[in-house]
Amino acid sequence: MIRKMNILKAIRESERHGYWFVLPYIIFFLLFVAYPLVFSFILIFHRWNIVTPMEWVGMKNFQRLFSDPQFFRAMFNTFIFLLIHIPLQIAVALGFSLLLHSKGMFRGFFRAVYFLPVVVSGVVVTILWQNLYSFDSGVLNSLLSIVGIRKIPWLIDPGLAMPSIAIMATWKNVGIYIVLFLVGLQNIPKEIYESASLDGADKYSQFFKITLPMLNSTMVLIVALSTIGGFSLFIEPYVLTGGGPMQSTMSGMLYIYNQAFYFGHMGYAAALGFVFALVILTVVLLQRKVVEAEPS
Amino acid sequence: MNTLLRKSTIGFLLLICLPACSGPHSSSALQDSAVITLTYWPAPNPQEIQLADTIVKMWNRMHPKIQVRMQPIPVSQSTEEVLLAAIAGKTTPDVCSNIWPGALREYTQAGGLVALDQFSDFDSIAAARVPRELLSIFKTSNGHYYQMPWKTNPVMMFYNIGMLNAAGVKKVPQTYSEYFSAAKKVTRDTDNDGQFDVWMGERDIRPIWWERLFDIYPFYIAASSGETLFRNDSVAFQNSDAEKVFGFFQQCYSQGYFPRTFFQGGDPFLLEKKATHFAGPWEIATISKFAPNIHFGVAPLPVPDDHQGPVYTSGDYKNIAIFSTTEHPKESWEFVKFLVTAEHDLLMLEITNQVPVRGDLPTNPLFASYFAKNPLMVKFAEQAVHTRGMDTVADLKEIFDAISQEYEICAVYGRKTPADAVRDAAKRCRAIMEWNQ
Repeated sequence: MIRKMNILKAIRESERHGYWFVLPYIIFFLLFVAYPLVFSFILIFHRWNIVTPMEWVGMKNFQRLFSDPQFFRAMFNTFIFLLIHIPLQIAVALGFSLLLHSKGMFRGFFRAVYFLPVVVSGVVVTILWQNLYSFDSGVLNSLLSIVGIRKIPWLIDPGLAMPSIAIMATWKNVGIYIVLFLVGLQNIPKEIYESASLDGADKYSQFFKITLPMLNSTMVLIVALSTIGGFSLFIEPYVLTGGGPMQSTMSGMLYIYNQAFYFGHMGYAAALGFVFALVILTVVLLQRKVVEAEPS
Repeated sequence: MNTLLRKSTIGFLLLICLPACSGPHSSSALQDSAVITLTYWPAPNPQEIQLADTIVKMWNRMHPKIQVRMQPIPVSQSTEEVLLAAIAGKTTPDVCSNIWPGALREYTQAGGLVALDQFSDFDSIAAARVPRELLSIFKTSNGHYYQMPWKTNPVMMFYNIGMLNAAGVKKVPQTYSEYFSAAKKVTRDTDNDGQFDVWMGERDIRPIWWERLFDIYPFYIAASSGETLFRNDSVAFQNSDAEKVFGFFQQCYSQGYFPRTFFQGGDPFLLEKKATHFAGPWEIATISKFAPNIHFGVAPLPVPDDHQGPVYTSGDYKNIAIFSTTEHPKESWEFVKFLVTAEHDLLMLEITNQVPVRGDLPTNPLFASYFAKNPLMVKFAEQAVHTRGMDTVADLKEIFDAISQEYEICAVYGRKTPADAVRDAAKRCRAIMEWNQ
């Protein structure tokens, strides 16, 4: 019995050392994760503009949310962005990964080049694209003018602005998905292609019958990652368009930011964030269901 | 091992906490207790910093026991954000001279400002400088004055004389019809690529709320002979004047007189790509500096054809306030009085080209030589009498954001009639006010 107690004491002492080691993270977690989370949950039921005292409003923030057409517009815009961005991302990433997977010169160089935008700051990339898309002095329109084509209002036409942002976001993020597809391609056994060739399958058939099905799990992962990334669309419309023209690029995240930090409706922004998180959770759970349904 | 770990963790935490514990108090303790130090925040643009620096140096020479430390407002998206954050953090200065009346309600609600009419000589100082009728627009709904009217930048129409002459426009447009008639002649495609590249005017089409302070808002004040958007905290702009203004801008865009874009390759007025520009007097210095060859004039904003009487505009006022965190309200008030003397108003004109809020500008001999040297500024001084400020309703930013969106849909993209856009803007403003009550 005494021996057992001594062992327990020894374990507790070693645990105590462990607690000291994890203390910095616990402090960080409490300050920057737990506290904001609890505080934002409290905010949901209050009206607060940072300077005046908090005022209890019960469920009024949710009442406003469900009758706020601007919020539904922002959600709709986010889904439009996802609809353009995800297929484009997959097509471009798959195309480049196939090129980089094949035996060609400067493969290592191009792999690094395609990954470069991923590590560059989002604001820097956005300002760069602002100069490309600018109507009056942009590089793209200057090139079009040289070949006699009319200037295109990339960020000014309400129908073009979100696709333009989706193209930019694809360029920024495609590097990481190229790497994922390359890993997937490298994991496909060469023997399968060899036996398919012996059976007379051409490159076209090999791609659709072997490569694509074998990349299915990578594809599902990329869709999930792009979806979560797409929901957090913020820097691009914030810097490029401010949510315009005609609210066509107002993303959910930008709308929440505006409500909180532009108009000072902290409580309403917290309620928006809560509902937005629920939407993301639902989409991710649905995707998880799809992943689990996939045959291994 | 246990003790060592504990000691090193405590040491680490102390290392983190120590800098936070040393604050401004430790340095202030070293100061001579007999000398009072006031902190003064002017606007962070170079001209106003120069003006503030000049005045503060004079004050400090004359008042060795009350020293003023000038510190430009920290640069941010807007002064209002900085001041609200400072009120929240109780780090406001003693005096600030960049108070936008539109944000006053938020500052006072937060208990951030000192009522200036508590000082016995406020009435005499303010009345000697500002005409009674104008002074009354700065009174808050609780009957107090929290701001000393300081400067105004009446929004007027700058026009490029060379471009108008070259297009055969002999008379500066005063009405909407005259503006359109001139626009027809000025707007053209110079490089034959099928798209206009010279326009009558241009506005930033992005739905940025404060951009409307230079188009819809002053144009509405002009069209309505001096009405503002709200009366007794209620929406007052759902009327034919507002519809005329929305209609004016809608026609400007639909006819191509204004480009449906925003410029990034430089100011189109300076590049002589547009013939008219709506701005305040600060633009004179900008044009003189960056495009000295442009021959330009200044005129009141265009008004509807049936307009009668003087043309009003938005004053874009910036005033002086004392923050309630001050430990020296009397000394701060003395400094405010020093800022608004006639001599310093003359300095403001000379250094910043901005118009002091004074009733005697055209008549006071002190300013005569300045206006003789700067004839364009006379127009602004004359216009200053016919200006209106900003309604002191809450949530103006959100309200202007809503108006901005309706303006964009109606005027820029032509997807709504002016009547519908004005009705929807009014409806949204009412909803915002109701929600925020």
